[in-house]
Amino acid sequence: MAEPSRNASTVAWPIAVTAGLLAGWEVIVRALGVRPIILPAPSEIVRVMIARHDVLLDNLWPSLTLTVLGFLLSVAGGIAVALLITYSRAFRLGFYPIIVVSQVVPKVSIAPLFIVWFGTGLVSNLMLAILVAFFPMTINAVMGFTSTDGDIHKMARAFMGSPAQIFWKIRLPNALPHIFAGMKISITLAIIGVIVSEFVASQEGIGYLIKLSSGLLDTPLMMAAITVLSLAGLALYGLIALAERRAVYWQPPADVGAGGG
Amino acid sequence: MTGSGGTALKNDPAADARPGPAPPPALDIRDLRKQYGELEAIRSVSLAVADGEFVSLLGPSGCGKSTLLMIAAGLSRASGGSVTIGGTAVTGPRRDTGVVFQAPVLLPWRSVLDNVLLPIEFQGLPRATYEPRARDLLRMARIDAFADALPHQLSGGMKQRAAICRALVHEPKLLLMDEPFSALDAITRDEMGVELLRLWQAFRKTVVFVTHSIREAAFLSDRVLVMGRRPATIVEEVAIDLPRPRQIAMTEDEAFNRHVRRLRRAIEENHG
Ligand SMILES: Nc1ncnc2c1ncn2[C@@H]1O[C@H](COP(=O)(O)OP(=O)(O)O)[C@@H](O)[C@H]1O
Ligand SMILES: [Mg+2]
Repeated sequence: MAEPSRNASTVAWPIAVTAGLLAGWEVIVRALGVRPIILPAPSEIVRVMIARHDVLLDNLWPSLTLTVLGFLLSVAGGIAVALLITYSRAFRLGFYPIIVVSQVVPKVSIAPLFIVWFGTGLVSNLMLAILVAFFPMTINAVMGFTSTDGDIHKMARAFMGSPAQIFWKIRLPNALPHIFAGMKISITLAIIGVIVSEFVASQEGIGYLIKLSSGLLDTPLMMAAITVLSLAGLALYGLIALAERRAVYWQPPADVGAGGG
Repeated sequence: MTGSGGTALKNDPAADARPGPAPPPALDIRDLRKQYGELEAIRSVSLAVADGEFVSLLGPSGCGKSTLLMIAAGLSRASGGSVTIGGTAVTGPRRDTGVVFQAPVLLPWRSVLDNVLLPIEFQGLPRATYEPRARDLLRMARIDAFADALPHQLSGGMKQRAAICRALVHEPKLLLMDEPFSALDAITRDEMGVELLRLWQAFRKTVVFVTHSIREAAFLSDRVLVMGRRPATIVEEVAIDLPRPRQIAMTEDEAFNRHVRRLRRAIEENHG
């Protein structure tokens, strides 16, 4: 009996709080007459988002494309490297420590170096997205592939599973929750990588638009760009969470995972 | 001290009736040794289990029971001696054995039925042929209503029943069980013993059952082999001549308790 109301409130309550905060923001900005260049009201941001949707969308697509591309390459590369780490002892001993230690390096600080190497452009931006998104993906996938307990492997061998069967029927499904946890971290980091690289050097993209509007003191446009970026990030994250719920049907979605960037 | 091939057959009523040379024992272990580095886990164990016999290996934790069973299952290598099943040497896991572990180790993403059919998939056997058998097993284990459920929807006892069905689905001749009920509560445990005997009576597999429970060993077995402290040897062999089918009520009887006392004395003498 308590269940449905609890479920309803877990949805309704955060929405109510968010609405309250936005309303408070609106009221304060209007009451104090804060100038839009300092802090535009939410209604003003929405107005700009509608009025200037063309420039916002024109800059959203390049950022989104780079983010998705960097994310997909990170996922593919991360899983491939995780398999090497799982199945090759030499590779594991040689590279896994490097990968773990690299977690603490603030990787976006390498962005200027990438410009020296790859110039200002898409390659540079993509490389930075991959650089930040790849490592947490790899580490989570390794955790997934290696976390099957010894009993399961003993059972599989007892019933004569081949190494290939053990991979497809046991290791891979067992790794799925961890892989999705890694994907959720990676998509967020890929967005950060793209935006930072667009700050540093780019002629398009949401990061470029944020920097440009900041230079022009067009704070409402900047806030509109940030809002669009946040909504796009939420949508991407939501898609992954949705896929997770379908793929990992045997357990509730896990919010665990090694992060960093 | 240890059971030879000859003593193993004495509980097999069919053995006397069979003409010609006796068939090889279902499981024959001779002078088995196992060393884990410096640690000598098993010194010299010899035992033979006849076709259709239910034999328990009884001993306290750490005496080497699992080690012995895992070697028989082909999951671990002996350091010396020989292990044969149905007359052929054990060199690795094989089709004619089924194993039940202490934990059910079901795959959480597979339905109960698909978990039971895992050995069929692994061994490349036709699913269509074995699915009816798997369903029969689930029915006999009284969990057929959960065939399509995921393991997390089952109680501990039900999970272990599914694990037993999985160990039987590919029609092994020999069932190896390593303390399969020790994680269950006492009442469930008694029930599972009765259920296991029911399955055993229906299929007439040979069972080697590892346990540290004296009562469980006495209730289930035709014969109980008591293992001494590490390095393991077999210090006592007790034939349990209680009638079958066995019922929980029999554990109140003097005949049952005489066996229990004898087993307890054997353990105390060798482990106290
Ligand atoms: N893989 C292993 N490596 C080293 N020692 C082991 C290993 N497995 C078991 N042992 C040791 O061998 C002895 C017997 O263990 P085990 O066969 O598991 O006993 P039981 O099943 O009777 O409790 C114990 O002392 C245990 O610590
Ligand atoms: Mg054990």
